[in-house]
Amino acid sequence: MTHGQPILRLERVTKRFGGMTAIDDLSFDVKRGSRTALIGPNGAGKTTVFNIVTGAVPIDAGRVFVDGVDISRVASRRRIAHGVARSFQNVRLMPHLTTLENVMVGQHCRNAGLFGVLQPVNLWPRNRWRDTAHAALTEAGLDQYAGATVKNLPYGVQKRVEVVRAMMAKPRLLLLDEPAAGLNSAETEALKSLLERICANDSVTLLVVEHDMHFVGALCDEVIVLDFGRKIAEGTPAEIRTNARVQEIYLGTPVIDATERRHAARSA
Amino acid sequence: MSGYLEGVLVLLAVNIVFAYGAFLPVAAGQLNLGLAGFGAIGAYASAFLSNTYGVTPVLAIMLGGIAAGLIALVVAVPVLRTRGIYLALATFALGQIVQATLLNLEVVGGAAGYPVTAFIRLPTIALFTAGVVLVVALLFATRFGIAVTAVHDDERVADLMGLDVRAFQIAAFTLGSIIAGIGGGLYAHHFSFIEAQYFNIGLSITIVLYVLLGGTQTVLGPLIGAVVFTLLPEILRGSANWRYVLFAAAVIVLMALRPQGLLTGEQIRRLLGLDRHGIRRADVAREPAA
Amino acid sequence: MIGQQIINGLMLGSVYAMVAVALTLSIGVLNFLNFSIPGLFMIAGMSTWALIHAGVPWPLAILAALAITTAVSLVVERFTWRWLRGAEHFVPLVSSMAFLLMFEHLAIAWWGSEMRVLPPLFAGTDWRIAGFVISLPQLAGLMVSIASIWGLSALLKRTSLGRGLRTIAEDSDTALLLGIDIGRIVPIVFALAGLFAAIAGVLFALNYRQVQPFMGEAVGLKGISAMIVGGMGNTWGAIAGGLIIGIAEVLSVGYVGANFVDISVFGLLLLILFIRPTGLFAGLPAGRSGI
Repeated sequence: MTHGQPILRLERVTKRFGGMTAIDDLSFDVKRGSRTALIGPNGAGKTTVFNIVTGAVPIDAGRVFVDGVDISRVASRRRIAHGVARSFQNVRLMPHLTTLENVMVGQHCRNAGLFGVLQPVNLWPRNRWRDTAHAALTEAGLDQYAGATVKNLPYGVQKRVEVVRAMMAKPRLLLLDEPAAGLNSAETEALKSLLERICANDSVTLLVVEHDMHFVGALCDEVIVLDFGRKIAEGTPAEIRTNARVQEIYLGTPVIDATERRHAARSA
Repeated sequence: MSGYLEGVLVLLAVNIVFAYGAFLPVAAGQLNLGLAGFGAIGAYASAFLSNTYGVTPVLAIMLGGIAAGLIALVVAVPVLRTRGIYLALATFALGQIVQATLLNLEVVGGAAGYPVTAFIRLPTIALFTAGVVLVVALLFATRFGIAVTAVHDDERVADLMGLDVRAFQIAAFTLGSIIAGIGGGLYAHHFSFIEAQYFNIGLSITIVLYVLLGGTQTVLGPLIGAVVFTLLPEILRGSANWRYVLFAAAVIVLMALRPQGLLTGEQIRRLLGLDRHGIRRADVAREPAA
Repeated sequence: MIGQQIINGLMLGSVYAMVAVALTLSIGVLNFLNFSIPGLFMIAGMSTWALIHAGVPWPLAILAALAITTAVSLVVERFTWRWLRGAEHFVPLVSSMAFLLMFEHLAIAWWGSEMRVLPPLFAGTDWRIAGFVISLPQLAGLMVSIASIWGLSALLKRTSLGRGLRTIAEDSDTALLLGIDIGRIVPIVFALAGLFAAIAGVLFALNYRQVQPFMGEAVGLKGISAMIVGGMGNTWGAIAGGLIIGIAEVLSVGYVGANFVDISVFGLLLLILFIRPTGLFAGLPAGRSGI
């Protein structure tokens, strides 16, 4: 692990779904220790980028590097061991596990192998793994929900539980897919403070797909803008806010139609 | 103990073992409709060993279970590539093949059936049953339980969290088949006669049904299902056929009204005060609304 | 003689094909493996026997058997499909299995478990063509099968109901967007499936003249194989599958023995599922195929 090396690098990545090119010769770096936002209009390819990084979909061209290691061909199951964890747009907690057990699923990648699997974590109340999971919930202010059935939890709580679950794997890169979606202002605040606490030490880099620009502005220090699967712009939130091309994409003018936008994107 | 009571308890013990044989794959999200086939393998293998080589029944039964498990392991890899109804159909075909093969195997009696000379009684059977229940309960108290449930709930996310989904599914399938094989061996060595016609799709269906009746979300569910299925008809009396009709009707109604079965993990947690649902409601009130 | 055996195989195959079509309709449109269909097959067969045995003239008995079975199929729909959301994704499958169990044991409770024999209704009506013997029930059976399947195909292609069914089979979300009333169509699917299973049961009863409570299992299970051999969710494939299996069975019994038939049929089934989980004829992804 060399400092100064980006935690995530996409190098000329292309992904096609049938006849449609979702990601087109895309290259970008995510700085280590940063909180980077990945924004762009619907269909820009943001979720596809996430799926590519986690290995959920294979790429047609290009390479993906995590912390200098080429993971382009690594199976999705093994990527979490390379330090990549994610949360999901529609919260995907396991409904038949309690909150605590859901969090403990995040510990699995550090516990694989026969001995790891046969650890009696649910046999007596106190053991190392349960305690660690409980501590993580407590730190996030969620420990009162430890024994609860997840489907009964408020949505904002579920979202935070998902983040805690992802953090259990001690990832170096945390991908958050629209973390603020569907949350009211209080829940968004709670989420933001959780994320800030997580980033307090530099060992975790955040890559956030988000539509809520206030959230992005408050949390993130870097922004990457995509459109039609290509990088349009990158910089600090302030720079992006004043970027003319970005404004075109979002606010649009009657003159610019989709084809022109695509041409503009290609010449970026 | 009267012979009648012993008979009922033996049946209960064997049904419990079969129930856990069905439960393991279901817990990982899969339906094994060939369960009776694995029971048959265990029954015939153990009977053959004890009849021909004089192997003591206890050992023979365990070896029968292992035989069933080995066959399960071999087919699990290709079979578990299918999903949903295709998996149900593949396991169903498997059970049919096992049954048809055994019907043709003259060395174990073929269609005429196979008498079993060694004989075990309730205490031995009860010990096996207790052993099976204990092993499964302990297994589910380990990370295996969490992993299998995670795989059952969301394969995609489990995979992204680093779980080897296929490995867990194969493990659950194989373990379930071993248990079913043990059940078959127990049956063979107590009822002294086995025939392939008994281990048919109807038996697989019946076992799966009472496991689903008991509840598939908790390790105690299969126990409840087997108890209800075996003992309730004894209490209600009536011909064997009407018992099946009532049982089937009960399952249909239950699936319509309470598909998670009689016992669920959530319920157990609430009963034990572990799921502090009531307290959480107050917390929810405190969580400031929009 | 092989020609004669092929004719017999076609007859058996068309029974399997009808059951396969019934199963295929459910799977193709509803992605639902309906285990009660072998039970419906049995109900039709045994009702035919029971009614004739009670003195009802055979045309009436046949119609009544068809009607009863279709009605029962609608009852099954009420208790399986209606409550689709469940803890386990295979709840409807499980309920349909429970129905099968229930039907079989009700039949035993009412009629006993022995085999029942139908009186020879069409004795002396055999046709002899070019050295082959075709009995009237066989001929009628083949014609009825062909007519039913042609009718179904016409229904699927040319009526709005058929279009609705095919749309739901392709993509139920699109169907909803197009305003297709799935709630109204589902009972029709069950009724059609029940009807096909019933026709198969009646044909079996009239041709082979033997019925018993577990007849559904033997035939129904071959119907499942036929469906898979032909491609899940594809009605023409189901028919092809049924005929293939019927002919193969008749030929093997003649040369190899009854049990090997089972092994080879189900072995073939397994092999197909291993290699191509969607069967031989289907071209679309598993579970969502065009009819």
